[in-house]
Amino acid sequence: MTTAPQKISLAQWDDRYEQLCRNGMREPAYGGPLRRHVVRDLDFRLEQLQFDNSAAALRLWNFLLTENARLHQARANGDQLVGTMKDLGTVPVMAYALPGLRAFYPDGAWWTPCLMENSDQLLQQADAMGIDASFCPVRAMLPAFENGEHFPKPDLLICSTGAVCDDFSAIAQRLEHLGHPIHWWEMPRRRTPTASEKACTLAGQLVAPRMQVDCVQDELQLIAQALGELAGKTLDDAALSAGIRAANQVRRLLGSLRQLVYSAPAAPLPALEMLVAEMLAIHFCSDREETIAVLTSLLTEARARVRLNESVLAADAVRIFWVNPVADLRAMNLLEELGGRICGTDYMFTHALDLISEELPPLEALARTALADPMVGPTADRALRIARECQAGGAEAVVVSRIPGASHCAREGEIIREIVRQQIGVPVIELEIPPVCDALLPALGSRLQALIETVRARRPR
Amino acid sequence: MDVFLTSPWLPPEWIRAHGMTPRGLWAAKNFPPRATPLAAGVCAFAEAAIQFADAHTKDTVIFSTHCDQLRRGCDLAQLHGQRHAFLFNLPVTWQTTAAKEIFRAELERLGQFLRSLGGRIPYAKHLRHELELSAAARTQLLAAATANSPRDFAAAVAQFHRDGTASTPPPAVAPARQIPLALVGGPLFAPHWPLFDEIESAGGRVVLNATETGERSLCPAFDFAAHSSTDTPATPFDVLVHGYCDHLVDVFQRPNTRLYAWLKPRLAARQVRGIVLWHFTGCDLWRAEFQTLRETFGLPVLLLEAGAEPGLTPREQTRLQAFVETLERATPVLA
Repeated sequence: MTTAPQKISLAQWDDRYEQLCRNGMREPAYGGPLRRHVVRDLDFRLEQLQFDNSAAALRLWNFLLTENARLHQARANGDQLVGTMKDLGTVPVMAYALPGLRAFYPDGAWWTPCLMENSDQLLQQADAMGIDASFCPVRAMLPAFENGEHFPKPDLLICSTGAVCDDFSAIAQRLEHLGHPIHWWEMPRRRTPTASEKACTLAGQLVAPRMQVDCVQDELQLIAQALGELAGKTLDDAALSAGIRAANQVRRLLGSLRQLVYSAPAAPLPALEMLVAEMLAIHFCSDREETIAVLTSLLTEARARVRLNESVLAADAVRIFWVNPVADLRAMNLLEELGGRICGTDYMFTHALDLISEELPPLEALARTALADPMVGPTADRALRIARECQAGGAEAVVVSRIPGASHCAREGEIIREIVRQQIGVPVIELEIPPVCDALLPALGSRLQALIETVRARRPR
Repeated sequence: MDVFLTSPWLPPEWIRAHGMTPRGLWAAKNFPPRATPLAAGVCAFAEAAIQFADAHTKDTVIFSTHCDQLRRGCDLAQLHGQRHAFLFNLPVTWQTTAAKEIFRAELERLGQFLRSLGGRIPYAKHLRHELELSAAARTQLLAAATANSPRDFAAAVAQFHRDGTASTPPPAVAPARQIPLALVGGPLFAPHWPLFDEIESAGGRVVLNATETGERSLCPAFDFAAHSSTDTPATPFDVLVHGYCDHLVDVFQRPNTRLYAWLKPRLAARQVRGIVLWHFTGCDLWRAEFQTLRETFGLPVLLLEAGAEPGLTPREQTRLQAFVETLERATPVLA
C-alpha cells in the first residue's frame, strides 16, 4: 500500500505508525511511535506540529528525540562523553575519531523549552541562576546542566570563545563558575589577509591569513591532547583523517539532500524535517553511523518523490531563503501554511555543511573549517554567501529570523538586509521567534503573509 | 591624526609611537554624538561608537572584537563608508601562547595600517619613551585612586585616555559615614558621571571605580626588567605585548578569573559593602556576572542599566537609594 506524501499531525501519526508497522516497517532500536515522546518525555510541542508522513521522517524524529536517552545509554555502556560548545561542527569531528568518545552540544538544550512548551521551567530556572530573558534561549542549558534531567553531565567540556556570541560566552562562563570546568579555545575573528600575509583558502569562497589558521590549529592540537587523554588513546593524523572522511560522508549526504529538496520544482520534504536533518551535521546527533543511515533514508525518500513528481507543498509556493535557526519549530510549519517554502538556509553553521579538505594535514583542514564559521567572520561575508545561494536557489525573499536576546541578532540583520538587497534586490524581513511562539502567531503570520503576497505580486504574469 | 580607540585595551602607546594621537573614544569631547532611540537589544555604547565613526570619516576609529556588538559595529561602520575603521582582534583567552601571538600579530597589523595612513615607523626608542611616559602617568593616577573624589578621579582617568596626561586634583574630603561602594562594569563616560553624585546623595560613595573606563583601565604595566634576561634586554615591543596581555583585566576574558582576582583584594582593602554593577542594555557579558559577583564576594549587588539617554531614570534612582539604605542597616561581610 502506498501513501501520498503529506504533512500530518501527531494524532494522524498514531494511525500512520500502525499502518507502517502492519506494512512491515523495520525500525532501529530507538524507534517507536512519535506519541511516546509526548507521554514519556513531555515534548508537548509535537502536538502542535505538522510532520512529514514518511517512515524516513519518523526515523529522523525518533533519532532526534531520543538523543538524551541514547547518551545516557552510551555512558552506561562505558563511553566517555564530551560536551562541546559553540563551535558547531568542528570538535565533534575530532571526538568521533576516537573510539569510546561521544560528543554532543549541550547548546542543543535551547530547543527544550520549545519541545516541552516550557513545562520543564528551564527558562525560569535559568532566571533564578542569574541568566534572565535578556539572554538567548540557549540559557536553558544552564539549569539542564545543574539538574541533570536532560543530557548526562559530560566528562569533558570544551567551548570555543573569542569571536563568538556574547550570550553563549557569558552563559558558559557562568557554567564554569557553578563548578563545571571548561577547556576554552580561542576562535579569532576571521579577517581578510593583508597584502603582506600568506592567505589560506577556506570553504565558502573565504580566505583567512595563514597566521589565523596556525593559531586555530594550535588550539585544536590542545583539544586533541585533551580528547586523547580522555579516550586513553592518542588522536593521531590517521585517526583524524578517518574521522574527517566519515564527517564528509555525512556532509555529502546532506549536501545531496539539500540540493535535491531545495532545488526541486515542488518541495519533496517539508522545511521542518529539513531543519532537523541539517542539524545532524554539527555533531551527528551523538551517533555518526546512525546519522548516515537516517540521512540516507531521507535522501532515498526525497529521490523517490521527485521521480514520481510528488510533493508536500504546492508547486507555486514562494521560495524563501531562511537565515538563523528558529527557537520554535512551529515557525517552519507556519511558513509553509502561508504559501512559502524553503529554498536555501543559513542556520549559523554553513561551515558544518561544507566538505572538509582531505588533502591537507587533518588538523589544518579542521582549523580551516572552524575559521569558515559564518558567525566568526565579517557579517558581510555571511551576507554575500546568502546572496550567492539565494541566486543559485532562485530565492524570491529572505527571512532573517531573530533569536530573542541573542547578541548577534541586534546588528546582523541590518547588515544582511542591506547587502542582500544591494546584491540581488529581493525583499528581506526580520522576524523574532520566541521558544513558544503561539501568542505571536497572528503577528508572525501577518508579516510572513505580507512578504509572500509581495513576492507573488512581483512575479511576472 | 586622531586615532579613536573603543577600548582601553587597545594600546595608545603603540599609536603614539607611530606619531599619531590616540584618544579613548569614550573620553572624546563630543562623545556620545547624540542619543537616538535604540532597536531591541542594541547597546547604546556600540551604537554611539558607530555613529561617531560615521560622523568622523576623516579620523581613524579602532574597534575591538571583545564584544559582539562592537565587532559588528565595525562591520556597520565600514558598510556605511568609514574607510578608516580598523577592527582589532583582542584575544579573550589568556592562558595559552596562541592568545599572545594573536595580540602581537594584531599590533603589527595595526602598525601597518597606521603607516598606510601616514604614521611613522615606530622605532624602539620612541616606543620605549611612550611606554615610560604611560607607565608614569598610570602609576600617578593609580596612587590617587582612593584619595580623589570619585568624580574627579573619573575625569582624571578620562583625561589620561584623551591626551595621555595625568593630573591629580587635590584630595577630596569624604563626608563621614558614607557607605563604601564599588562601581563595576562597562564604560562610564562624562554624561554618566552624575551617577557619582547620585550615589553620594543616597548616602554612598564609590571607593572603587572598576568600570571599563575607571581604575581598571589603568592596569597595563610596562616592566622592562621583568622581561629581560642577563644577556638579552627586553625589546619595547615585547614589553608592550606583555604589558597588556599579562595585565588586562576584564569581564570578557575566558576564564574571567583575573577580574575576580583583581577585585577581591581591593574590595577588602577598601571595605566595600556593596557593588553597583553598571552595564549597557544588551551587554550580556556584564549582565551575566550579577549573580557570580554576589556569590563570590558575598556582597549585595545592584544592577544598573544604561540606555540611550544618560542619567538614571526615577525608578533607578529609587532603587539606588533603597540599595544604599539597606546597606546602612546591614553588617558588612566579605566572603
